[in-house]
Amino acid sequence: MATLPSESSARRQINKYVSYFASVLLILGFLLLVIQRQRTPLDFTRLSGFLGLFRQGFVNTIIVSVIALIGSMITGFILYLMTKSKVQFFRAFSDVFTEVIYGTPLLVMIMVNAYLIGPAFNIFNRPVMGVLAIIVYITPYMSNIYKSAFSAITEEQYMAMDLFRFTPTQKYAYIIFPQVVRILTPPLMNNFSLIIKGSALLNVLSFRELFYSYRIFQSDTFQTSVGLIFMWGLYIIITIPLSQFIRYFERRWSLQ
Amino acid sequence: MVVTMKINIKNVSHTYDIEVLHDLTFNLEGKKAVALLGQSGSGKSTLLRMMAGLEKPTKGEITVNDLKVDNPDYKDYVGFVFQFHNLFPHLTLERNISLILEKTRGIEKEKAKKTAVDNLSFLGLGDQVHKLPKNVSGGQAQRASIARALSMNPDIIFLDEPTSSLDPILTDDVLSAVEDLRDSGKDFVFVTHVLSFVRDFADYIVFMHEGNIVEHGDTSILDNPKSEAMQSYMNKVR
Repeated sequence: MATLPSESSARRQINKYVSYFASVLLILGFLLLVIQRQRTPLDFTRLSGFLGLFRQGFVNTIIVSVIALIGSMITGFILYLMTKSKVQFFRAFSDVFTEVIYGTPLLVMIMVNAYLIGPAFNIFNRPVMGVLAIIVYITPYMSNIYKSAFSAITEEQYMAMDLFRFTPTQKYAYIIFPQVVRILTPPLMNNFSLIIKGSALLNVLSFRELFYSYRIFQSDTFQTSVGLIFMWGLYIIITIPLSQFIRYFERRWSLQ
Repeated sequence: MVVTMKINIKNVSHTYDIEVLHDLTFNLEGKKAVALLGQSGSGKSTLLRMMAGLEKPTKGEITVNDLKVDNPDYKDYVGFVFQFHNLFPHLTLERNISLILEKTRGIEKEKAKKTAVDNLSFLGLGDQVHKLPKNVSGGQAQRASIARALSMNPDIIFLDEPTSSLDPILTDDVLSAVEDLRDSGKDFVFVTHVLSFVRDFADYIVFMHEGNIVEHGDTSILDNPKSEAMQSYMNKVR
């Protein structure tokens, strides 16, 4: 190539931004086309009386997702320990449990938990059973994350720590924990995104999260298109920055 | 500790799934650089790790410089260079050394840092000290790992095939760095397949085959292998 390396890399950079900008425009353009082709005109002013409702849904979605994230981090760790257990039964149980979950759609999990398992134990608090369903559902995925994070610390590293005479506390504080956090964070945030999206299904239990807010708005105003677009945007506002953060974190902190 | 290296191996056996070392008894004294040779699976790496106190033999006893290798204090006299550099991946080259000096040797921060930078510079990495292992070449990482071993001021440095993951140019790069340590006053025990390095650097050869020490002697045994196993090895490696 005749171009200098810096010149061509600058050009590549510009090319990249233009491509991204064009892609965003294309999707927005498609959306505008869809809006323009609706039979009933869209009246966004109707949102004004329902902003509180959407805010409540938005906040509840985040609260429920954070609870499910923390809960599944704990249950996932327990499952991970079971997969590593010396007791054959624990390993077998974790296998069977994981297979059952992998074979179950989240919506079915939520319904089964709220209408089948909960009532069997006199628990009729459906939001609670719904959140538990998400926790149970994400547990095997969390277990996998722990597995890959801890396996990243090789036997040789443990040997080196012994050789240098680190105390057990020092091993965790200076070597193991800092590495595990870096490896764990991106997939953890990925799962958080999965949970946020999955929590929309809790609307079937009439739990007041974001999708449920849309349903109320729609039934009160019949502005289906307005409600859908607004709700969609609110999900995107959380999930896209989250995935951008994950990418940034991986670029900045990856150890490979 | 004594000035000259002294290794005593007494009735050492080791079993993973199968026995890899068979009742070894062997004594060495006054050597500066001992090469362990042998095919993969001959037990040389296992023996090296045991001499360094990283693994315990199933049976038997090893003392180095009159100290049992399972004595915790023994670790202070040992440097070890792993096959793949084995630096902690989340720490810079400098921090890979200074953290250990600070936390486990109780050396104050500034001094630990200076020791780290000095040793890295000695191995030609003066301008790389703030980089993470992932951002330097395999050869540089391995040299940093040698600097790390050196920084602990050990009496003996063990090297376990330090160049097996490197291409020929980087291999040269690392091995000539080791040769520069000849006058450092340290003793060396190492496993490698690079015979030119063995000829230049070693003053004693131990050849292993299927868990036994088959031949040992000064470098002249490289040219006159007596056993069939060593003859066959020399033909393959050459």
